[in-house]
Amino acid sequence: MAWQVKTIAQRTGELLPGSPWTAALYVLLTILAVTAFVTVAGLVLIYAERKIAAHFQCRVGPMRVGWHGVLQSIADAIKLLMKEDVVPRDADALLHILAPVLSFAGMLLVMIALPMSPSLQVADMNIGVLYVTAVSGLGVLGILLGGWSSNNKWSLLGAMRAGAQIISYEVSATLALLVVVVFAGTLQLSGIIQSQDTGWWIWRAHGCGLVAFAIFMIAGTAEINRTPFDLAEGESELTAGFHTEYSGLRFSFFFLSEFLNMFVLAAMASTLFFGGWMPLHVGPSGVGGHFAAFNGVMDLLPPGLWFTLKTTAIIFLLMWFRWTFPRLRVDQLMRLEWKILLPIGFVNLFVSAACVVTGFYFFAR
Amino acid sequence: MLANALPTLIFYLLAAISLTLAWSVVTGRRILRAAVSLMGVLAASAGLYLLLDSPFLAGVQVLVYVGGIVVLLVFAVMLTRTTELLEDHPTRGRQLLGGAVALTFFGLSYCMMTAPVFANRALTALPKNDVAAIGRALLDTGENGYALPFEVVSLLLLAAMIGGIVIARKPAALVKSEVHHG
Repeated sequence: MAWQVKTIAQRTGELLPGSPWTAALYVLLTILAVTAFVTVAGLVLIYAERKIAAHFQCRVGPMRVGWHGVLQSIADAIKLLMKEDVVPRDADALLHILAPVLSFAGMLLVMIALPMSPSLQVADMNIGVLYVTAVSGLGVLGILLGGWSSNNKWSLLGAMRAGAQIISYEVSATLALLVVVVFAGTLQLSGIIQSQDTGWWIWRAHGCGLVAFAIFMIAGTAEINRTPFDLAEGESELTAGFHTEYSGLRFSFFFLSEFLNMFVLAAMASTLFFGGWMPLHVGPSGVGGHFAAFNGVMDLLPPGLWFTLKTTAIIFLLMWFRWTFPRLRVDQLMRLEWKILLPIGFVNLFVSAACVVTGFYFFAR
Repeated sequence: MLANALPTLIFYLLAAISLTLAWSVVTGRRILRAAVSLMGVLAASAGLYLLLDSPFLAGVQVLVYVGGIVVLLVFAVMLTRTTELLEDHPTRGRQLLGGAVALTFFGLSYCMMTAPVFANRALTALPKNDVAAIGRALLDTGENGYALPFEVVSLLLLAAMIGGIVIARKPAALVKSEVHHG
């Protein structure tokens, strides 16, 4: 069964010749929907993080506001919005304001490309993977500028650490992405998902996919500054790193983009390695496939639910990391990237290229 | 009518943004703000590429320039002391040199723009707006292939990288003395 992908951008394009104003309204509604999604997902992720962290430490976490504390995030958000918005006196006010916006924009622009279901994707670009890598680079710029413009030594140190870390680990993350691109033969995100119709890339590539997934998760965790790679805001050393001087709304922009970046990473990992919205398939689904019946059963779950389940599982994994590994030192961080991950990534890419050239992987076409 | 007017409108908007930000890059007194403006200029040119139907080039522009060069620039500014980069009163010689360079560049660009060599003869060799076609053209050794330019650029980058490492590396004697004195 072929999946028909229809994006919101395509629907707008169909509306445009007939009624430009309807198309404009459609675009406006899309923007509102994405904003609402980002806000709600941020609140849910923060609540989940606190609850999961609590249970890992044999606590109960937030319990007071609402049933089992489900309204805690909303209360916190209202508190953040009411706080005074402080710009340090000797800070570069313009850059201080611009930095969280850049960070947020980097996250929001990636959101546009994420395929959540065949019918739910804002834009399906020909250069999808390249676009995601390119646009997420804005985030690091926001962090660097935020640290610099605060005029605070901890902010500056935190920003320098974050910058060095993100630039370094971007290399490995991109190498891992390229493995899937080589196998799928396309940069288009929906095309990558369609190519996993006969099985997810993590299994089909004789270990190449598995290694690439491991590298992608490690490098991705470092890119979004989460433990064990949270040196940039190591609170025992740098108070809060690059966002020490931020408060109120602008702090929440940094905070929100950090949490949503976790969602973006999980969504990208599930898209590239676990087939995104593609149900679990083994072999071709049509007549003659040995597992056609199994595939049919798996198709009973709607694709949107598959995407949600996979992404949630990976987010849980990321939260699990946080309470499992201790924070790395700066020199350990750099050694891990340049002496371990990068060589493995290069070898893995060459091996996968060889697999593709010889057609030596499962269900090769 | 709207469909024709929109690209023109967007072009002028992007051009205005580019020029304004480029002006503030040159005239800005705070070096980091200049870097941010430069980022804006580069992002606007990515927008121009999009307008010219080359999304791949636009993506690479954002990836390499906004995500790479500007970030490295900001990083370098943060590592150095800003006061060293400010030059309030350049010497007469520098002013003259700067003026000469600017004039030469202006003259060259003027000659380029007015010279009638911009024939469309290269258009057939351009790959379609398709990543796969661009990839094949880059590896093609044939008539319209870009394999040789691609390799030359790689070699140039490799040389630049080795040069950077050689400059940044501590001299062997210094490393040895550090080992001895702990």
